[in-house]
Amino acid sequence: MRAATAALGLAAVLLSGMAHADDLHTVSLEMNDGKFVPVRLEVPAGVKFKIVVRNVGKTAAEFESLPLRKEKVLAPGAESFVVVHPLRPGEYGFFDDFHQEAQGVVVAK
Amino acid sequence: MGQVLFVVWRESVEALLVIGILFTWIVGRPDSRRWLPWLWGGVALGLAGAVALGLVILFAGEVLSESAQTLFQTGLMLLACALIVQMVVWMRRHGRTLKREMHTALESEVGRSHGWGVLLLAAIAVVREGSETVVFLYGIGQHLVLFEFVLATVAGLALAGLTFVLLQLGGKYVSWRWFFRVTEVLLLLLGAAMLMSAVDNLLSLEILPAVVDPLWDSSAFINDGTAAGGLIASFTGYRAYPALTSLLIYLAYWALVIVLMRLPRAERKPVQA
Repeated sequence: MRAATAALGLAAVLLSGMAHADDLHTVSLEMNDGKFVPVRLEVPAGVKFKIVVRNVGKTAAEFESLPLRKEKVLAPGAESFVVVHPLRPGEYGFFDDFHQEAQGVVVAK
Repeated sequence: MGQVLFVVWRESVEALLVIGILFTWIVGRPDSRRWLPWLWGGVALGLAGAVALGLVILFAGEVLSESAQTLFQTGLMLLACALIVQMVVWMRRHGRTLKREMHTALESEVGRSHGWGVLLLAAIAVVREGSETVVFLYGIGQHLVLFEFVLATVAGLALAGLTFVLLQLGGKYVSWRWFFRVTEVLLLLLGAAMLMSAVDNLLSLEILPAVVDPLWDSSAFINDGTAAGGLIASFTGYRAYPALTSLLIYLAYWALVIVLMRLPRAERKPVQA
């Protein structure tokens, strides 16, 4: 009985997360074999937001950012998104783990 | 090609450390060699899992929702963290009494469950970053000449061998006791790092509340939003923008580890003939 309740609770958390993904403030990022376009993403502070990440390069890329608590591997041509928690005003870096020269920043205002 | 090598090394160094340390612990004491097959079994299982997971990411990425993928990764990390702590505590308690236990009825039971622990930990260590490496290599493989690709793989294996040799040498040139302590701490740090990553995921999925987020901003000290800072963070659990929950769990981890390490050794009950 307790296991069932826990499972239902977990399902509710997951489903609610999915339901809200569409109303979120959205920004886009392109990863291209070690180049980010744009290098700087501006988002409003204090609200959850979504980054749609697209790998337009010919090699795999990994969007990684510990400040944003997000990590995502993208095969060439793949597109996905990450939902980031509300940020206090400031700058939060991210990079491509497979092309370490690629460095970007999310600016929350 | 140098970049390929560097990425492969970086993605596998965590697994190499875990497996290398376990290997050195196992062969360091003649009584423990029986766990070597479990270790290699775990590595094989991990490699198979990494390839399977990598292929899923490459060709069926949309089938699994992000939440499901994240939960799966989180589960693996929490399990690995628990196994690390269990392994370190176990070695502390049984390291010295191993020989005596060989002659009691406990031997097979203790041995088998410990073997499973070794296997599982090795497997998880490989799967974690292994699946990412598979995706990375697949993307690279499409553009490199086959010869260069094979060369990079061989070089990667050589690096793995080098890590092992270094650990073995370390075991020979410093006292076993000192070496054991250092590798214990290394493993526990890795466990802490995995725990922090798991907590990050749980915070992200809003299964855990952050309470205060961030508690501080130490990016001026080490900025974990850069590749270099991220590397340090992945071995220590450091966070430049920690949530209060993350800090509390981090402290609780170390408190628990200290308590477990200080517990008196389990009593051996003599077997009645």
